[in-house]
Amino acid sequence: MKKLQYSKKSYLGLAVGALGSLATVAIFARTPFTDAQLADQQRELLEVVNKGRDLWHGSNPSMSTNGLACGNCHPDAAAANPQTFPKWVPQLNAVAPLREMINWCIVHPQNGKALDTSSADMVALEAYAVYLYRGEKIQPGYTIPTPPVAVKSGVGFPYKPSGLGVDK
Amino acid sequence: MSESKDLTRRHFLGLAGSAGVASFAARAIGFNLGLVELIHAESTKTAVTPFSFAIITDSHLFSIPNHKFDRSLEDAVSQVNALSPAPDFVVYTGDIAQNGREDQLVKGKNILGKLKVPLKVIPGEHDWYLDMGKAWNGMFGKETWSFDHKGVHFVGLNSILVKDFWTGAGLTPLQRMSTMEMLESPVAGPWGVREAQLDFLRKDVAKLSPATAVVIFTHSPLWDYYPRWNFQTQDAPEIREILSKFDHVVSLHGHVHQTIYNKFANFSSAGALSTSWPWPYPPVVLDYPGSQMNQSDPANTKDGMGTQIVSLGGVAGGLVTYEPFANSLTPWLKDGVKV
Repeated sequence: MKKLQYSKKSYLGLAVGALGSLATVAIFARTPFTDAQLADQQRELLEVVNKGRDLWHGSNPSMSTNGLACGNCHPDAAAANPQTFPKWVPQLNAVAPLREMINWCIVHPQNGKALDTSSADMVALEAYAVYLYRGEKIQPGYTIPTPPVAVKSGVGFPYKPSGLGVDK
Repeated sequence: MSESKDLTRRHFLGLAGSAGVASFAARAIGFNLGLVELIHAESTKTAVTPFSFAIITDSHLFSIPNHKFDRSLEDAVSQVNALSPAPDFVVYTGDIAQNGREDQLVKGKNILGKLKVPLKVIPGEHDWYLDMGKAWNGMFGKETWSFDHKGVHFVGLNSILVKDFWTGAGLTPLQRMSTMEMLESPVAGPWGVREAQLDFLRKDVAKLSPATAVVIFTHSPLWDYYPRWNFQTQDAPEIREILSKFDHVVSLHGHVHQTIYNKFANFSSAGALSTSWPWPYPPVVLDYPGSQMNQSDPANTKDGMGTQIVSLGGVAGGLVTYEPFANSLTPWLKDGVKV
């Protein structure tokens, strides 16, 4: 049975038969997450992404002293290019991950206080940018401008936010 | 575009025997050089005395004292005041304020008051949605206007009117403003000039001859550039239809914070650099990709921002010359965009 999981033809053969569902269960090394658990996990992720979206638009006042937020220059995370990190960042004179670039923007264009790079807020900001770019090819070090992702509707992810801006 | 600069009108006409050839030649070198208009201008001889005006736009002033955007607008005013020859006037195409607050509009009016030439203003969404234009109208008058200058008919419209999303939702004026401030807000919906201004435009141009040169100003582009960010005006097709009787119409707009050009039949359109920050180019395949400026360097606080001069009349017909604060232009853009 173990080989079946790698052999499409055999698998299909089985799937056609009544044993298909049994074979699928058999290939897992441990008990899979239940649908309810997976839904919980996805909800947790989207809550963090949604928090990131609010932070991106100014919900943490410590990130800015001049009123600017990430979203001013990066609507829909355009030109944030999370899929190109880590890369050489001239402003930092180092190869840096996205979170260091986010902190550079907080400190310089926004004249705010850098976040702890392992803080929940930083995780949320990263989650928002990366989630919008989901499915994009990972290209660390890529420096040529890439087009932003086309967000078709809503906020770009399946969630129900207020839709309101958060700046005061 | 350096090729175009070196060629005289005679060369152009010799090179392009027909509009079709001209159009093909322009596409072949990657950018529309306005050859068709040039030939047309030769045949119709519209009575435009050569002159120029400047565009300043999208300063997004905050209430915070001594904000960096205050200095940016001051730089723009100094840059325009230093032009020689001086432009005949300046048009401001919206978004003086960031949050629509009266103190922000007052600050902008004071800085723009240092201009040495007359100023015409239209509103942007950031100026408007805190008090629905009350402070703006009090300071700058009507947002819908037209005037004639040296043979050109100029029109300004308010293109940022949205359907009421706030009354039903019970939003405060501040919440309404905050919603409109977010470029990618899924709530506010598309902008337009709406029926009253379409009527104004119909009546305004009714008696003008088709040979009249027309320049129209709106905050948002009069074509569907990227509707998600309101890089559009919902009733732009109606506007273009009303203006379709003219030989040539130039549409100039703010909002996009970037160089951008497009053309439909008799209608050419150019966007303006802001004085605040550059927006990235949206994920759109452009007919004129050469009109994109360089991607801005975030470490250069002036990159991707500036002012622009529009020259009308004479051989070129119309030319938009971008005047960036930093070295933001591609070689193609440096000689200006024919409109």
